[in-house]
Amino acid sequence: MRTGKLNRNDSAEEDPYSESMRESIKKVEETREERLEKEVDMMDPDERDEVLNNFHPDYKEEGMRSLKVGPNRGDEMPLELADLLEAYPAVDPSEVDLTKVDYEVDVLVIGGGGAGTVASLWAIKEGIDPEDVLIATKLRHGDANSMMAQGGIQAADRENDSPAAHFLDVIGGGHFANKPELARALAKDAPEILNWHEDLGVMYDKNEDGSMKTLHGGGTSRKRLHSAKDYTGMELMRTIRDEARNRDVPVVEFSPAVELLTDSDGTITGALLYNLETDQYYVVRAKSVVMATGGFGRLHIQEFPTTNHYGATADGLVMAYRAGANLLDMDSVQYHPTGAAFPEQIVGLLVTEKVRGSGAIPVNREGDAFVYNLEPRDVEAGALIRECYGRNNGVETPTGMKGVWLDTPMIDILHGEGTFEDNLAYIHRLYTRFRIDPTEDPLLVFPTLHYQNGGIEINDEGRTAVEGLFAGGEVEGGVHGKNRLMGNSLLDYNVFGKRAGIAAAKRARETGWGELTLDHAKKYTDQLDNAGVDEKRKSPMLVPEYRGEETLSRSIDVL
Amino acid sequence: MLDKPETETLEIFIMGKKYEVPRGLTIMKAMEYSGYQYIRGVGCRGGFCGACSTIYRLEGDYKLHTDLACQTTVQDGMYLTQLPFTPAGRKQYDLEELEISNNPLLDLYPELARCVSCNTCTKTCPQDLEVMDFVNEAIRGNVKEVAELSFDCIQCGLCAARCPAEIPHHHVGQLARRIYGRYQAPESEHLKERVEEINNGVFDDELEELVNLPEEELRERYENREIES
Amino acid sequence: MRDIAYYPGCSLKEAAKSFEDSALKVSEEMGVNLKELSRWNCCGTVYSLTDDNLMKQLGPIRNLIRARDEGSDELYTLCSMCDNTLKRANSLVRGEEDKRDKINNFMDQENDYEGSVEVHHYLELLRDDLGWGEVRDRVVNPLEGLNVAPYYGCMLTRPKEIGLDDPHDPTVFDELVESLGGTPVDFPYETECCGSYNTVDNEEMVLNKTQTITAGAKKSGADVIITACPLCHFNLDSRQSDLLEVAPNHKPVPVIYFTQLMAIAFGYPEVNKFAEHAIDPREVLELKTKAGSER
Ligand SMILES: Cc1cc2nc3c(=O)[nH]c(=O)nc-3n(C[C@H](O)[C@H](O)[C@H](O)COP(=O)(O)OP(=O)(O)OC[C@H]3O[C@@H](n4cnc5c(N)ncnc54)[C@H](O)[C@@H]3O)c2cc1C
Ligand code: SF4
Ligand code: SF4
Ligand code: FES
Repeated sequence: MRTGKLNRNDSAEEDPYSESMRESIKKVEETREERLEKEVDMMDPDERDEVLNNFHPDYKEEGMRSLKVGPNRGDEMPLELADLLEAYPAVDPSEVDLTKVDYEVDVLVIGGGGAGTVASLWAIKEGIDPEDVLIATKLRHGDANSMMAQGGIQAADRENDSPAAHFLDVIGGGHFANKPELARALAKDAPEILNWHEDLGVMYDKNEDGSMKTLHGGGTSRKRLHSAKDYTGMELMRTIRDEARNRDVPVVEFSPAVELLTDSDGTITGALLYNLETDQYYVVRAKSVVMATGGFGRLHIQEFPTTNHYGATADGLVMAYRAGANLLDMDSVQYHPTGAAFPEQIVGLLVTEKVRGSGAIPVNREGDAFVYNLEPRDVEAGALIRECYGRNNGVETPTGMKGVWLDTPMIDILHGEGTFEDNLAYIHRLYTRFRIDPTEDPLLVFPTLHYQNGGIEINDEGRTAVEGLFAGGEVEGGVHGKNRLMGNSLLDYNVFGKRAGIAAAKRARETGWGELTLDHAKKYTDQLDNAGVDEKRKSPMLVPEYRGEETLSRSIDVL
Repeated sequence: MLDKPETETLEIFIMGKKYEVPRGLTIMKAMEYSGYQYIRGVGCRGGFCGACSTIYRLEGDYKLHTDLACQTTVQDGMYLTQLPFTPAGRKQYDLEELEISNNPLLDLYPELARCVSCNTCTKTCPQDLEVMDFVNEAIRGNVKEVAELSFDCIQCGLCAARCPAEIPHHHVGQLARRIYGRYQAPESEHLKERVEEINNGVFDDELEELVNLPEEELRERYENREIES
Repeated sequence: MRDIAYYPGCSLKEAAKSFEDSALKVSEEMGVNLKELSRWNCCGTVYSLTDDNLMKQLGPIRNLIRARDEGSDELYTLCSMCDNTLKRANSLVRGEEDKRDKINNFMDQENDYEGSVEVHHYLELLRDDLGWGEVRDRVVNPLEGLNVAPYYGCMLTRPKEIGLDDPHDPTVFDELVESLGGTPVDFPYETECCGSYNTVDNEEMVLNKTQTITAGAKKSGADVIITACPLCHFNLDSRQSDLLEVAPNHKPVPVIYFTQLMAIAFGYPEVNKFAEHAIDPREVLELKTKAGSER
């Protein structure tokens, strides 16, 4: 940083790393030269299976249970999610008046992140008047996982690459559980999407001749990861948001959807919004509804910290499930191998895979490399957990967390001084704020809850099985099977945001508005009653609860 | 595995009201610890979105500091408030219709000329950007320099809130980046060619074959695929 | 090649690009490299000239600090507005201790500034440093028969304490024109204000001024007018073409930067980009000078 002002956290000169951490860093430094010379071998399929079975959190039986109600009855999924799906509507259907309609639109988009914004732009391109579109979102427009992506977006645009090669990587990475037609759409639309971004003025990293700078990501057979420094998500999100603002797309902020509305046949006819600031509800009548509420990191599955934004609380899954949507692959959750494990203030935040892609290698307490740096995410994460808890070779932090080193100083040694700061500006800033210089010292990392691999089932037009309901982005499932590869979810929100937006617009042109009821929620409530679900359990969650225990234990409701 | 704060505590003043919180938390977590449940003032929790703009002063000092609540550790005697919204004006424009021969930045934001070079914006910026420099580049019409210098802007609006000339720096930066990306950055030929190939159906048969392949065969192709080094 | 620290100012990067281009070229010819400060901001002209608010002195002073921090004790300007603004801020720092302290206190991230940098206009370089002989030696196309009206405007000579020439009877342009082989013509409005920023909201006033000045020059027999100020240039050139719409009988005179005139005499007319001028000077220059205006 030029003005060196960022070291504002604590004026103290003292070493942020503890003494024992510093000792271990010495060992890392000693072995660095060897590492620069010799790569670690990739695991063979048997070892991969062993790592996954014994150490990946998805394989921990006590973390899962099967659903008793709804379309996915009998399916295993994380407890935290199951508890939200099997919960009573947060809004009591008998308390709202659906006869007074606040918004009447062609296309309602729920979620103002990447998928939602893309859907709105393409609905407009498809001929819907911007006035007849509405984005309802929980926080501000763009406060979303989409804003946070660092590493990049995949697209097979280079000569040695092809959509077919991309498709194979997607399917193999997803353990062949993907819906093939969705993986095809993803790979085939990718170059067109990047081209659209270029027209919107996105500043991708390029060589002087205009060719794209690309890197490998975990599980890719070609270098096809495109980035904008390590602010790729931000550059995309703020650009499409700016375009939506230029196109006058109406957005209501701090007004999450809390329930879908249906007619008596179960067709989606609108949604109920809740103004978080005034406690008021709004009734929206819409011809098509696009669900684009993103993921569920803030459920802290198995108590993992998360990379996700504050609003990633599975609301879309909850609402759609009650309305009859089928969910896919909810038993697989993506833990990103390298979340920050130190310092305490930033635990769980992402250290992008681009760091490993640029040559930094995970190293244990003794300074030994123990895993190839670009295994598929689930395997890499399992290997880190094995190193810390299976082999007890992790480094312990002063607050008792464990992690392994990511040997970041290797990057400038490999690619020249300044590479790290130029290409990984976010990570550099994240750590220098806490007086750790990643070009001098390694970073301590541990897996962190990152991505919802599965979600609402859609077809390749972004339609769900529920009439009138469309979905795009992290909330839907089937595209990535059981494991999403890096750079494919920015792509996902663009491809399926677009497809859902177009399909929603088409439906809106062909249909009229329907009647507004909460019948589906009442029916679901009956099923919950029959299954004996705890009545106190309510959903959607909307925001996570982080208030101090002391406060909560003494909180009373007077107003 | 969630944060376990250390036990040592310190005193902070949230909008003037005193709370005791454990040492080593971010401002954001300290406010939550104190009992605030965020609606405004939080977004990504990771230094990307600029929702958590915070102004603080340390006891005994006159200086007002600015930073991000999710990225800043609480200190003893911190007087703080959040500034989750800045009503800085943003101009509508159509990127395709923009007259870019002249100085589009100054055309849309004539208030740029009011800059007195006080450097307050640069001092304010939690991302440590050279904000005053990009304002000056904007006055001169150097779109590329503005785009590059403002690239890491998280649009928190703190600079705009403190600028005596009432310049909406972050909106100017956004405009410059889009103009640069759209009109000035070198074009990517291979991308355009690939799009054309796809539109001409060049890959359709191959994809159709893969989509219909039984899992066994797909698996085999995957295991044996060639990997670029 | 000798490096001298150079402050361009915003106009020279925009509307007055040919002012800078021609200056860089003729300087190179004389063995001087105008080395642009690596970081600089707007001189602050509009504000710092018009009131007493210290805030508005920060811009010019910050530029002087940057020149000093880059190791220069002299700083050269081309735009007479910037020249004026920087010099006035400098003399404020030098002369008024309390204001200097306030400014230094406010700029708490910079080292204090006491007025150590000397600001010069490019014309001072020619006259006082290189000397007219140096200029004369580089002339390959003497401007014989060309009648040039030297238009000083306000900024080069006023106020007296910082002006580079006699405010009532300046001669530096005349000396330059003679050195280039041309003929300076005497005309009554050489230090008349062009209307300056009134061009933004009082166009009529500026049109009147423009008419007086350009018609006066024409009457005195001028073929072209020279200036050192981008704003004067805009008013006299662009506004003159506006004037032609309301006063079709007006006889236009082209207005060019003095460095463009030098470029013609030095044999580099191609840097001038005269096609961008509202009143195209090419015809008259071609008629009058052997060099022509563009090769
Ligand atoms: C730190 C991080 C790094 C990442 N890096 C990469 C990467 O390098 N490459 C890559 O391809 N992917 C990456 N990802 C994943 C990718 O960013 C996301 O999967 C993708 O952006 C999701 O887009 P989305 O629009 O579906 O969801 P989001 O962008 O999260 O948008 C959902 C929006 O809906 C809002 N919302 C939630 N509930 C409601 C409700 N009830 N009502 C209304 N609105 C609601 C949310 O607040 C949010 O604004 C990363 C993710 C994270 C968190
Ligand atoms: S705060 Fe405003 S006036 Fe001051 S330098 Fe920045 S843009 Fe200029
Ligand atoms: S430039 Fe302004 S809006 Fe952008 S990050 Fe810095 S202070 Fe925030
Ligand atoms: S919450 Fe997004 S930057 Fe702090």
